[in-house]
Amino acid sequence: MKLGAFTVFKKEIARFFGDKRLLFTSVIMPGLLIYLIYSVMGNSLNSMMSDQTSSFKAAAVDIPQSVASQLEKQGFEIENIELSEVDRAKEQIEDGDLSLCVVFPDGFENVMSEYAGGSKTDSAPNVKIYFDSADINSSHAYSVTVAMLDELEKSVSNVFDINNASQDDGYDVASEEDAAGAMLSMILPMLITVLLYSSCVALAPESIAGEKERGTLAALLITPVPRSQIILGKVLALSVMALLGGLSSFLGTFMSLPSLMQGMGDELGSISANVYGPVDYVCLIVLILTTVLLLITVISIISTLAKSVKEAGTMVLPLMLVVMLVSFMTMYQTETRTEFYWYLIPIYNTIESMAKIFSFSLDPVCIAVTAAANIVYSALGIFILTKLFNNEKVMFNS
Amino acid sequence: MKEVLKVENVTKTFRLSAKQQKLKKTDSRILTAVDGLSFSANKGEIFGLLGPNGAGKTTTLRMLATIIKPDSGDAVVDGASIVKQPAEVRGKIGFLTSEVKLEDFFTPDYLFNFFSDLHGVPDDVREKRKSELFERFGIDKFAQVKVANLSTGMKQKVSLVVSLAHDPDIIIFDEPTNGLDVITAKVVTDFLLELRRNGKTVIISTHIFSLIEKVCDRVGIIIDGKMTVCGSLSELTQSKPLEDVFFDIYRERKGDEI
Repeated sequence: MKLGAFTVFKKEIARFFGDKRLLFTSVIMPGLLIYLIYSVMGNSLNSMMSDQTSSFKAAAVDIPQSVASQLEKQGFEIENIELSEVDRAKEQIEDGDLSLCVVFPDGFENVMSEYAGGSKTDSAPNVKIYFDSADINSSHAYSVTVAMLDELEKSVSNVFDINNASQDDGYDVASEEDAAGAMLSMILPMLITVLLYSSCVALAPESIAGEKERGTLAALLITPVPRSQIILGKVLALSVMALLGGLSSFLGTFMSLPSLMQGMGDELGSISANVYGPVDYVCLIVLILTTVLLLITVISIISTLAKSVKEAGTMVLPLMLVVMLVSFMTMYQTETRTEFYWYLIPIYNTIESMAKIFSFSLDPVCIAVTAAANIVYSALGIFILTKLFNNEKVMFNS
Repeated sequence: MKEVLKVENVTKTFRLSAKQQKLKKTDSRILTAVDGLSFSANKGEIFGLLGPNGAGKTTTLRMLATIIKPDSGDAVVDGASIVKQPAEVRGKIGFLTSEVKLEDFFTPDYLFNFFSDLHGVPDDVREKRKSELFERFGIDKFAQVKVANLSTGMKQKVSLVVSLAHDPDIIIFDEPTNGLDVITAKVVTDFLLELRRNGKTVIISTHIFSLIEKVCDRVGIIIDGKMTVCGSLSELTQSKPLEDVFFDIYRERKGDEI
């Protein structure tokens, strides 16, 4: 007799690969969309950053020549105005005709030197900058001006430097790889887990609650195949499909990451997958496989309890919130956990273990505990599913 | 004749929700769908369960098909208990009901193979049987058409054929001609008689008197979950038609509430 679980597995896979629309929406589309969205986001951010050097139009009162020439180097076109014209300039800023208006105290350079030298001890000279925070161009112009004036202030009253750029002695001991790893370990575990969850949730409710709703699951349940085998066949097939969906999303993310990072103005635009070795990838695959198995099992339990796909969709929402919460919590965690019991907590264990891989501090014990915990929880879930499948009230709503 | 099905004192109750209580206009939280039901069927006969809607016919058949468990009592299907050996029972019966549907996405050919595999039918036996049944019901021309694209009658035929993929000796049909057009209904009725000729035991539930009169050897009339009369069709209809027998019993049980 052919193994029932394998027959059910083949049927589920045939259904998945035979339905071009399902295949497209759950495997091809997620990766493609992620790649397109992240690439567009990266490019937009990139062009936004380069736009920052674009020209600004500024009005200035009593601007020292040294400051004016510095600002002109930053792309400012400066018009000198009288103090009485400031109100008109403010109106122009509001209308978007002017980026900002900067008002220096009379004899600014002298007053500043006296103050810095300690001969003048009353309040420091105040430079007024009028700008429009609701306008992107005006905001940028303000940031550039403030940064430039800050530098000027530092140069006047400089007592000591910190990590002087002109004498770079390799202050940051982290290698480029380490820096990339730190960034990736913060983002990728969270992204991968959320994407895997999305894949699982797109497939399991349809396969379990959908079949139950349509009455096609009953046809399986009146065969002599043990319920545990029916469940095993379904869970394994769903895991394979979810993995494909997750893989597609992962590829989309990974391929668009360089352009996204470049867009964020980071040096990580040149991140390459080559920085990780085969052991890292094997561990990553083990984590992904066991996590998908666990997620599919949990979502299958919820779907079995639901009367319809719609109800299953509502019932899995709290699980989604938990996954998101855990994912984001670990993103901002400042210390890595080394005690093994932390790796018994589902989802958290996966994210922590992945973070270790991406930050080049792979810990085989943590990976093993995580994988074992996920497998044990999945087995427990399959046991619960078998009980539910044997429950006529749950399966036949009687 | 060899007794292949024995139902003994089977009872099934359901807990009603507040909404169901309101609908059924009852204060009781418990509905007794089947109440101490007993009957038997022999090899090579067609046994009909006759009763109005809500009498407990479908619940009885669902228990025989091991979809639900009786609260008390048991039934033995070809030597296997529905309570203690449900998986064995499932291997011995073919069950057809509107509650069980086939996946629209697949073709009759795929579904026949799939259910044959689940029943452990060897490939060569499966192919021979598939060819015979598909030809018998005119499915051969639609074997590679997705079920979603078939007519209602053809879908019913495919369901029937798939339920017989493993050549069961005991076949349970819940309302076998319900919702079928006259042509398909005739095909199904003729097939029931053919199954009997081949030595199969068929249990059907229906409220159609003509179907019972045409195909059944023995009949059990169920009202309010209880077996009121059970015997051979010829015994029951000795003095009057089946319809009159039924309504006499119904009035006796329920008064003039028709």
